[in-house]
Amino acid sequence: MPGMDPIIDALTRRGAAQLAWLRGWRGFGRFAAVAIVESLTPATYNSATRSVVQKQIYFTAWQILPTFTLFSAVLSFVLIQIVVDAARNYGFAQHALEASVRILVLEILPLLTALFVGLRSGAAINTEVALMVVHNEMKALADSGVDPMRFEFIPRVIGGVISVLALTAVASALALVLAYIAVYGFQVWSLSEFNRVMGNIFDIPAIALLWAKVLAFGLAVTVIPISEGLAAPPAKLFFVPISVLRGMVRLFFVLMLVEVISLVLKYI
Amino acid sequence: MAMAQESEISLISEELPLRANLSVLENIAIVPQYRQNMAYDQAADQAWSLLVGLNRSECAFKRDPDLSREERFVAKLLRAVIRSPSIIIIDRPALLLPDTHYPPFVEATLAALDDKINECWIVDYTWNEPLYAPR
Repeated sequence: MPGMDPIIDALTRRGAAQLAWLRGWRGFGRFAAVAIVESLTPATYNSATRSVVQKQIYFTAWQILPTFTLFSAVLSFVLIQIVVDAARNYGFAQHALEASVRILVLEILPLLTALFVGLRSGAAINTEVALMVVHNEMKALADSGVDPMRFEFIPRVIGGVISVLALTAVASALALVLAYIAVYGFQVWSLSEFNRVMGNIFDIPAIALLWAKVLAFGLAVTVIPISEGLAAPPAKLFFVPISVLRGMVRLFFVLMLVEVISLVLKYI
Repeated sequence: MAMAQESEISLISEELPLRANLSVLENIAIVPQYRQNMAYDQAADQAWSLLVGLNRSECAFKRDPDLSREERFVAKLLRAVIRSPSIIIIDRPALLLPDTHYPPFVEATLAALDDKINECWIVDYTWNEPLYAPR
């Protein structure tokens, strides 16, 4: 029927777009599974892969450490002051420390670190992997007897996860110090009270959930850009910006999804 | 992806570029570093001596976009040579060296690496056969 042609065309285009979207998620899932297995395989680690891990940690964590530390310190200080002042105004000053640490260390700082690393290193990794595919560099590496998966991609995942864990730890430690100063001032006599509150917050399930969340963030900021870059078609340079755009959008949704799941597990 | 290590054949081709974010020295050194778990310094020494052997040490720290076509060809060749494959295949050298009278250049380069290459095949169009010296 001639009248049905536009509808069939529209449905076909819509279906093709849905399939491409699903293929992207399948690629992400497959690469995540391979990355986890390979990173736990001792054979993955040799002189070459170790140097890529070191470089990844240098570029992802060490290079940005001063800026990131300063930024997270300023943000933490402002948020702690807001929470402490609000708690005092509403008459629950005794919970100010607990509230500020819960908000910052358990929720905001891990997410902020993942977003920071994702925007900086994730975008760069996505671009580089897409360019590798476009320029056929993976096949060239394989022809030299170097497995691109083990040499290029798995070390980046490992380095990215370590970087997110390390930066989150630095930001969190700094936030704890600032929270202590904001609540108790510049003195050490309240350390036992501070430790008691920390003990209440960081029980075993909370620590386990925090570790799992930060690990998931670390995986997401590297696995998604790499899998999206790998999905770029060979020899099509124009596709690189599209690949990065898709990678960043997917990364944003996955980070938010992980955060929402962790909130649900903790509070609902 | 079929790893070339299984076939022990290395291909030098316009379609197989150098790794763009590594220098020439690193592109060559990465092969023993990865395949033999060799320390970087030792692998870089090997790569350096190969480059010096061909009087190409000046390009050791350049990356792909900064290389001349001859330097790029040498880098690709040495990346293959350091792996010691049974056969090295040079695929259509005219594509790799379009501005060079390539048969004598390739011949001289291979001669300088004679003790390091098991076997080398040059794949070229039949109409380029007169360019090569008779064997």
